[in-house]
Amino acid sequence: MSVMLDKVQVVKRMCPVIFMLDTSGSMSGAPVGAVNAAIEGVLPELISMNEDNADNEIKIGVMTFDSDIKWVTGDSELVTPDELKTNWQDLNADGLTSMGSAFLELNNKLSISHGFMKHASGSVAPVLFLLSDGEPTDDYKYGLNKLQENNWYKVAAKVAIGYGESNDDVLREFTRNVETVLHTDRPEDLKKLIRFVTITSSRVASSGTNAVSPDNNPVDPDDNTQQVANALQAQGGSLTNADADETW
Amino acid sequence: MAEFTRLNKFQQISLTDGSTATVTDKLGEGGQGIVYRVKLDATGEEKALKWYFVGNFKEPRKFYNHLEENIKVGSPSAAFVWPEQLTVWNDDTPFGYTMPIMPKVYESFPKFLNARVRFKSEEALVNAALNMVLAFKALHNKGYNYQDLNDGNFTIDPNTGKVLICDNDNVMGHGQYSGILGKARYMAPEVVRGDSQPDKITDRYSLAVILFMLFIGEHPLEGKKTNVPALTNKYDKRFFGEEPLFIFDKNDNSNAPVPGLHRNAHLWKFFPSFVKDAFQQSFSQESLLKGRGRLLEQDWFNILMRLKSSIVKCPKCGDKIFMESDIETICGNHKVKPVGYLQFPKRSNQAVTVPIVGGAVLYNYHVDNSSEDFATIAAVIKEKPGKFGLENKTNRRWLVTSPNGKTTPKNPGEVLVLGADFKIDFGNNNSAQVIVN
Repeated sequence: MSVMLDKVQVVKRMCPVIFMLDTSGSMSGAPVGAVNAAIEGVLPELISMNEDNADNEIKIGVMTFDSDIKWVTGDSELVTPDELKTNWQDLNADGLTSMGSAFLELNNKLSISHGFMKHASGSVAPVLFLLSDGEPTDDYKYGLNKLQENNWYKVAAKVAIGYGESNDDVLREFTRNVETVLHTDRPEDLKKLIRFVTITSSRVASSGTNAVSPDNNPVDPDDNTQQVANALQAQGGSLTNADADETW
Repeated sequence: MAEFTRLNKFQQISLTDGSTATVTDKLGEGGQGIVYRVKLDATGEEKALKWYFVGNFKEPRKFYNHLEENIKVGSPSAAFVWPEQLTVWNDDTPFGYTMPIMPKVYESFPKFLNARVRFKSEEALVNAALNMVLAFKALHNKGYNYQDLNDGNFTIDPNTGKVLICDNDNVMGHGQYSGILGKARYMAPEVVRGDSQPDKITDRYSLAVILFMLFIGEHPLEGKKTNVPALTNKYDKRFFGEEPLFIFDKNDNSNAPVPGLHRNAHLWKFFPSFVKDAFQQSFSQESLLKGRGRLLEQDWFNILMRLKSSIVKCPKCGDKIFMESDIETICGNHKVKPVGYLQFPKRSNQAVTVPIVGGAVLYNYHVDNSSEDFATIAAVIKEKPGKFGLENKTNRRWLVTSPNGKTTPKNPGEVLVLGADFKIDFGNNNSAQVIVN
């Protein structure tokens, strides 16, 4: 093949999609099973989204929080959906709900100098996805206050899913937008909901959204959370419409 | 307000012409909606059905009417996957339209940019550019403009360079605005700055971006200057609106490609001077800041035809190259220059030349100045020791005149020997001259 046809992939910006998943004891059994199935199931979708996107490349970070905080995807850099698909190991649930520590750790990693945000061709606003099924067992306020000073947090598209006994007020404090906190009590719906929210928020964050004139869309272009809220809403937003994984 | 609902397999949909279609499969899903495969119940014919997330529309009725109007006015050319039938709509359901199904061989342009798919030949690469340019010429000639032209609109057959353009929903008549400004990185700087609404002139900017990315595999405005860690809207506005600078700007190299990062940028040097000039004009400060000097589709067409006929095998190493006609071409670590070239009358003030190198091809475009046929071969340059010839592949007789005034006819299938300053008359006022380098 001649040199003119032998191109490498165009330079793309990174679009981080970071999950903070509650793996406290109360999640054990069906709920954590639903989380595992949802994350694993959504990866092929994210891989194909990347193949059809020449602007931005989705990279993933998965953090679990229970009594400890752990980066399932490693704590040095984010991984591609392909890499995660190859290396995915099911999560187990056990222990407390250290959400405050999770916020602090996320704040650490939302950094160019010593975190995940260093990327040769730059990064667009990340997606921050929080899933919880209970009350934080530590001082979540302190961690959240720290996180909320982070500039990446400020521009991020923030979404959350509450399951069962979750304290959705805390989740809303995290997203700062009531429309991007969704809730379910049924494990079979949890999988669908994770998938629906992940796909929609990843698509909005990575698509270099078609800008519309201010007359038609009064949303602040930097308010990525509201952009996601609108996209969730446009698809019906309700769980009954969330069967995004229907395969024929 | 209209509430979005998904369609189920075997669900029947009523179309506005009174017919019905049945959903058979889901083809894809994007930010605007879902695309289903449907079967027309009357004929069994398969179509794609685009089904909108209606909640995205502030005024769905207006959008529905707009689609209706575009269906009535019709498709600008066969390259556009144009809406065919709207679904029946009563204001509180979702709606959509049917369109032709995209053949499997077509791949999305982003897949090419992501190096998942490659063109099979240089000819296919240039054909893709020619097809894009002709499609937009047809669109603009019909009084439409595209408004949100970006990479995602194009699907291309990597074998032939045939192009299909999809997502034509925001195509508008002249002076009408869809409200969509476009996709970041593809919007004209004046649209990014908020100075103007999308129109034909801003389409031409976006088209030049697409062509540049097609050939070079880099964004024309992304270099050293734009390489910042956090790409928020503030930066997008600066780099693509307020302070745009071409990575190969003639006078300012402060936004040059970053070695090691912009790894396709080296391809620039393989393109002939007339292509580089066209991009430097398209992304000059005049064009970026004042919207002036952008190339018309017809200009691009002539430039791309010249590029297509410059595809030859390097006489030294046999690699395929784009050969300049009258100056040296760099190929690997050597330089080559043809003995001469065929010069045709200018077209819309663009030079038309073909280098005299064995294997160079002339198309109907070259022998008929009213033709835009870039596929049918009209002549081939032949080479044997000490001689170059031109084989007549048309079905017309040509007349060859040497500088001493002697004229000889050349019938279809015959090869004329090319001599210095020969004039070739292809009939109907079409001619070319042999120029020796």
